[in-house]
Amino acid sequence: MSELVLQALYSGLLVGGVYALIALGLALTFGTMRVINLAHGELVLLAAYMAYMVESRLQLNPVFAVPLAVLVACTCSALVYLLVDRIRKNRELNSLMLTFAIGIVITNAVLLIFSGDVRSTGSPFMQDAVQLGPLFSMKSELGAFIISLVLVFALWQWLSRSWYGRAVRAVSSNRDAAKLMGINPARTELISFIVAGALAACAGVALYSSSVVHPALGHALTVKAFIITVLAGVGSVPGVLAAALLLGVTEAMTVTLWSSALQELVGMTLFLVVLLVLPNGLFGTARRRG
Amino acid sequence: MNAMRRTAFALLAVLYVAVPAALGSNNYLMGLVVSSLIVAGVAVAWALLGNLGGMVSFGHAAFFGVGGYASALLTMKLGIPVLLAIPLAGLVAVLFSVAMLPALRLSGPYFALAILAYAQIFRILATEMEFLTHGSGGISQIPVLPTIAGFDLSSRTGQFLLLLTLLAAFLAAYDAIRRSHYGIALRAMHDSEDATRVVGVNSVLLKSWMLFVSAFMTGVIGAVNAHVINFLEPDYAFSGIWSVLPIVAAIFGGYRTVTGPAIGAVVIYLVDQLVFKALVSTGHQIILGSVLALMILFAPDGLLPLLRNALRRMRGASHA
Amino acid sequence: MTPLRLMAATFAVAATVGAGGTAAAEEFTVGVQIPLTGAMARSGTGMSEGIQTAAELFNKSNAKHKIKLVTIDDESNPAKAVAAVEKLASQGVVALVGGFGSNIIGPASDAASKLNLVYMTAGGVDNDLTKRGHKNFFRINNTQGYERAVTQLFEEQGVKSVSIVYSTKEATADLAKDLQKSLAPKGIKVTLHPFDPAITDFKPIINKIKLQDKSEVIFMSAYENDYVGIIRAAKVLKPEIKAIVGVWSLATSKMWKDFPDLMPNITGTSLLPYPVDYKQPEGKLFNDTYRKMFNKDVDYLAQFGYVKATLLFEAIARAADGGSLKKGGLADELRKTNKETLIGRVQFDASGDNLNFRHRMGQHQDGKIVIVSPKSEATGPIVWPGLPW
Repeated sequence: MSELVLQALYSGLLVGGVYALIALGLALTFGTMRVINLAHGELVLLAAYMAYMVESRLQLNPVFAVPLAVLVACTCSALVYLLVDRIRKNRELNSLMLTFAIGIVITNAVLLIFSGDVRSTGSPFMQDAVQLGPLFSMKSELGAFIISLVLVFALWQWLSRSWYGRAVRAVSSNRDAAKLMGINPARTELISFIVAGALAACAGVALYSSSVVHPALGHALTVKAFIITVLAGVGSVPGVLAAALLLGVTEAMTVTLWSSALQELVGMTLFLVVLLVLPNGLFGTARRRG
Repeated sequence: MNAMRRTAFALLAVLYVAVPAALGSNNYLMGLVVSSLIVAGVAVAWALLGNLGGMVSFGHAAFFGVGGYASALLTMKLGIPVLLAIPLAGLVAVLFSVAMLPALRLSGPYFALAILAYAQIFRILATEMEFLTHGSGGISQIPVLPTIAGFDLSSRTGQFLLLLTLLAAFLAAYDAIRRSHYGIALRAMHDSEDATRVVGVNSVLLKSWMLFVSAFMTGVIGAVNAHVINFLEPDYAFSGIWSVLPIVAAIFGGYRTVTGPAIGAVVIYLVDQLVFKALVSTGHQIILGSVLALMILFAPDGLLPLLRNALRRMRGASHA
Repeated sequence: MTPLRLMAATFAVAATVGAGGTAAAEEFTVGVQIPLTGAMARSGTGMSEGIQTAAELFNKSNAKHKIKLVTIDDESNPAKAVAAVEKLASQGVVALVGGFGSNIIGPASDAASKLNLVYMTAGGVDNDLTKRGHKNFFRINNTQGYERAVTQLFEEQGVKSVSIVYSTKEATADLAKDLQKSLAPKGIKVTLHPFDPAITDFKPIINKIKLQDKSEVIFMSAYENDYVGIIRAAKVLKPEIKAIVGVWSLATSKMWKDFPDLMPNITGTSLLPYPVDYKQPEGKLFNDTYRKMFNKDVDYLAQFGYVKATLLFEAIARAADGGSLKKGGLADELRKTNKETLIGRVQFDASGDNLNFRHRMGQHQDGKIVIVSPKSEATGPIVWPGLPW
């Protein structure tokens, strides 16, 4: 039994690492602009398909797709920002709708270009098993987990140390005051979208290397990212990591101790309970109630 | 305003007669019209919650699925007549919406995605509660709509007339609520919730009522759909389509207007199926997505207000 | 007014098309309602190509009758499938062929039944489909055929315990439960592991099988993306099993091409060995024509599409000769079918089910697919125990 639980904990943590990568970008843009980018999951998906393209056309390890994926995802993310920025009326609702529409367009574009087949890495290196004592995983999962930790740390440092990072935080806590301090909020927001795109790109490559992707996946990724953002609460980068790991572990434990059919149910219920009971999320600072 | 209402009634009367007369013999086109009216019904319910309640929902599939399942089970397990089961299914959807009341305190996007979570939870419950719902195998051979006084409601024309009647009733109810002092209070709430609270309006209570009305309408439409398609399974009944299409339709038609969402639904559905599908057979949703994006960017109020302004200008010209 | 005018215009167009379709004397229009987009797109496309090949071959070999196909994409959506059936009916088709997914075929064939049109399919295996009392519904495959093939494989190999991992979708859940019912009386220990289609990490499930079930075989009732996840998890955790067995869309050359390191020794349902090796002249002809038309190898979907369409076209020709086609005699003519086809002998019972359908099991061996069960049909020996690692 203990062996079962230990493995579930470990699997859950590794999955949580990828969840964190997927959620970070969404949490960042949501923090700065109070706009939920419902096309975020589709950006991750797009990056995953770039990894597929590099692997299948150039016969390279998917890791080498990162530059291309970053380029594509950042461009798309910047475009999303520029479009959202055009909205003047009823911004909260309309930006939700607009990013949702962009998501539909990306999903169908991926379907038209890459067809509906399932894709995943064929690289034996990535799929090889690694054993740590009684714990098993694929190399790619462990790698993605480590990269995720590194990126979380880097983002956290960037937000707290660099000038732009501080500007992002300033804009997210008070746009007008930030303006008075000589920060250009529009440029700051654009930068946060570009960084979010880069994070989505890493998430996509990690996803392709450790899991299976298909065109309809984007929406589910967005929802997962949003759940984690809510669990974390706004404004806390380590919170996103903690929430993602918590979700991953909860899912794995549900499968192990209860039933695999109920994994999604438990995730959704956790989301609702936190949303309704803890207005600031598990680790957050900002208010969310109307 | 009164003149507009009179035109609306006249138009409705024309629809009752003209559509079956023109298309009645063509099951395919009538079928498309029936499907578009189902989307229209949900779009009106969605817009009511969005416009009056100030809450955008991403999970109306929750009510749609609950309504469908409730009506199927009421008729098949308890033998309740179909036409009685349909409104009861609406009430069951209201019952389920009570579980969502805590979410009313959430603001904008949080509410939208909380409702989405409810829809997912209901879908999984419908899959897991096999003793009741047959699980993922679904329920087939759901009874068709009955024959009333020699008139077969299960024919395409019958379905059309039933749905058109329901839609007209929904629109009338929506309009009545909007013009009542509750409606005025609700709309004032958009501008400042604090202000209305000071004036003594209980905003949470009013919002709950809007949630109930919207859930009821969606549940009724879900029930009718179950008796039209005669088949339900969790993935279909709670499909994201039932959440997404009405939103697209309402935005397209103009979700701040009463009739906009309904007209938007019919137009979008028919154009998508008859035109877009012919143009791009695979992935024609890409056009749908682009249209939605362009509408939000360039005509966020929807088509109907645009058309109405154009009409007013024309009428002004003819009077002069 | 816009929608009204639009509808009127389209109606006019549809009416003229309908009139044109029935005008030609010995040409019969057959409607194809099939998913070319949406969740079932891949399967639907494969079947549709088989149907087109069938029409091509039928028209070449048959001087008296010609078949014209009209295809409508149902977008993997029940309401649109019903709309497609009604549209095809309004264009004067003599019968319908196609469909994929029992949840879509159900309402679509209901609509066909109301319109008195024969509905022929190979994409809906759900048990309930043939319990509706439709006189016009026919199918050449069913869950029992899959269940029989898997049961026989387990019996031949003397399997004592099986862990069934299945997606909580309609067809996959049906098969898992039917299989449990048929294995349990034979003294085979069965453990069920249902999973939500959204899950991607299967290690916790496989670990339960490894540490708790300790079964001999993992049986997967799922779809392609799940297969990849399950086999990968198994490859990482390496439970002490003898084999991994699955059903549809698994023993295909495409799976080998996409996931060469996951597929060795994996067994799934397959009516065809790969490379395709038809012994009958009909099979050779089908293979050559298909290759010419679509520039790729025949797969099981294309073969199902071809067989069901050919049976239908031949019945149409017979009914037309006998003069019963216009009087609704097509269903009776189909019920008289008794023919050796590429999927074995086909005979329909009163409910339209194929009495003889029995699938075969194919195993991935070095990029080839070898039919390994039933033994009478085997094209090579099975590797047992045999795992991808």
